[in-house]
Amino acid sequence: MINEYFPNLANIKEIIKETNNTNTYILEFFDKKLSNDFSWTPGQFMMLGIPGIGESAISISNTQNGNLIYLTIRNVGNVTNYMSNMKKGESINIRGPYGMGWPLEIAKGKDIIIVAGGMGIAPLRGLINHIINNRKNYGYLEIIYGARTPDDMIFKYEFNNWNKIKNSTLHLTADQVLSETPFECKIGLVTSCFPMMKTHHRNAITLICGPEIMMRYAAKCLETIGFADEQIYLSLERRMKCGIGKCGHCQIGSKFVCKDGPVFNYADIKPFIRPL
Amino acid sequence: MKVFTILKKDINILLEHFLKNFRVFGPIKPGLDSTFNEITSIKQLHLDYTSTVLPPKKFFHPPKEALFSFEIKNGKYANQEIKSNEKILILGIHPCDVHALLRLDKFFSDEYQDIYYQNRRKNAVIVALNCVEPSEYSFCMSMGTGPFLNEGYDILLTDIGTEYLLETGTNLGNQIIEGLKLKKATDTSFQEKKRRLKLTEKKFKKFMDTTWLPKIAQENLDHEVWIKLGERGGVGDSFPCLSCGSCTFVCPTCYCYDIYDKLDLSLEKGVRVRELDSCQLLEYGEVALGENFRRERKDRIRHWMLCKFAAAAGGKNSSCVGCGRCIRVCPSKIDITKVAKELRGWL
Repeated sequence: MINEYFPNLANIKEIIKETNNTNTYILEFFDKKLSNDFSWTPGQFMMLGIPGIGESAISISNTQNGNLIYLTIRNVGNVTNYMSNMKKGESINIRGPYGMGWPLEIAKGKDIIIVAGGMGIAPLRGLINHIINNRKNYGYLEIIYGARTPDDMIFKYEFNNWNKIKNSTLHLTADQVLSETPFECKIGLVTSCFPMMKTHHRNAITLICGPEIMMRYAAKCLETIGFADEQIYLSLERRMKCGIGKCGHCQIGSKFVCKDGPVFNYADIKPFIRPL
Repeated sequence: MKVFTILKKDINILLEHFLKNFRVFGPIKPGLDSTFNEITSIKQLHLDYTSTVLPPKKFFHPPKEALFSFEIKNGKYANQEIKSNEKILILGIHPCDVHALLRLDKFFSDEYQDIYYQNRRKNAVIVALNCVEPSEYSFCMSMGTGPFLNEGYDILLTDIGTEYLLETGTNLGNQIIEGLKLKKATDTSFQEKKRRLKLTEKKFKKFMDTTWLPKIAQENLDHEVWIKLGERGGVGDSFPCLSCGSCTFVCPTCYCYDIYDKLDLSLEKGVRVRELDSCQLLEYGEVALGENFRRERKDRIRHWMLCKFAAAAGGKNSSCVGCGRCIRVCPSKIDITKVAKELRGWL
């Protein structure tokens, strides 16, 4: 029997600096078999551990060649602070991937609206890449990405590619824009971009990830412009200890965020998200 | 399956037989309360108990355990698994606690396996004891988990006066009692068992109606009972919840735990530890940067009640078995059966 709690060693192949407190780590399992067998769907997460410090759930932002795992991490806690001081070539513990990803099958043939706030773009980047690679299967693509300042935005090097996607619009917005930016950036919350959307709710699906307060407002605004709860999907955040639906910390209503989520249909979890 | 009887005064023969092959754990009574502990002689055994402080969950999902150890040497980590294969026998578990174990079995073996729990469970023999003297707090009859047991035991004992009726439930149970000279049970023993069951059923003081309860609980998230429980008023003659977490620690089906790393003083090695956690504590729902998804006390007690009413993520696997331990230990005198009644609008 496999011991799910037992992590595997991975090597830090490369570190990409995203902002002054966020890095993307490119990891590879030391174990060749694990490395070759690795498979994932966008929206899933890995449990990343540092012996002596602890474990943390981090979503996969991208993969390369099927075996290089991209984890984008902002240093906010014990594990992530330690991570920020790590260097290329050092090793860490990872296990996973866990959870159910974005509803790729349900989204087929529909227009897609992606709403991301701050670090929330990380689990959505894999999805955007998936859509780029399977462009014919999906309708119009609308990406709305908001952050506190343009400097806090991650994956800035991807914006050019995203702008060039056929049949799509990229809205970038920030709460504060203090200096000139190399890309077009509006001022305001993500919800302020909703009136500029080219997509109609008739055959669309919305995928949201960000701070919970932003997701609540975004879902509420989408409701007022005609979206049904069933058309909205959210990726939630909880402090997971096990990642396999046993430790109980991530419960929301009758679901485990780690096992049944982290992506949920808004209709399923609406009563358990705190009212505005 | 085989059925025997054994005289009460001969129970030491049974115990000595068990002690030959197993570490035996059973109820002892060191003070006013009973507890499960290791038994080495018949003097310690106290089979006439009503309920123990902690459920026998502690043998399978211990309050604290090391998952694996690791070494940090010149920047390289090496993990090392800890495994133990000790055979134990638990004597005198009541039906409610056996049902709780059956639920935890399901919980820890769905989708993802919990190897630590399953390993200990596999190496344990359950010698259950039917309950003839329910405590004043228990309501297992309403939950369908007692007072007599139909499943989940290797050997089952029933007090029928001067004797115990001994039934085996598994092949393992048959193997264990091999070599013992036991008297074959007669029809009168069975009749006595039935009579005792009826007598016991009349002794219950608490009841809980579970029909549609998960659905009722899920659809009444804004019911005033949660405000009464968490903020002011209380339910029945109780005070509002203090969020002490006692209920979760004595509950035989509460499974939540925390995982953390414990580093040795040398900073070169350590262990990853898991320790029981409680959804009643403030830190339970906290995430990075201080956001807390169950900051309000009423949200936390509501979550626990929903969990016990089979309406949370654990489903039926973490639901109440009616042992009554939480009612007994609650410093605010919160009574889960009264909460259920009030939720239905019956109080």
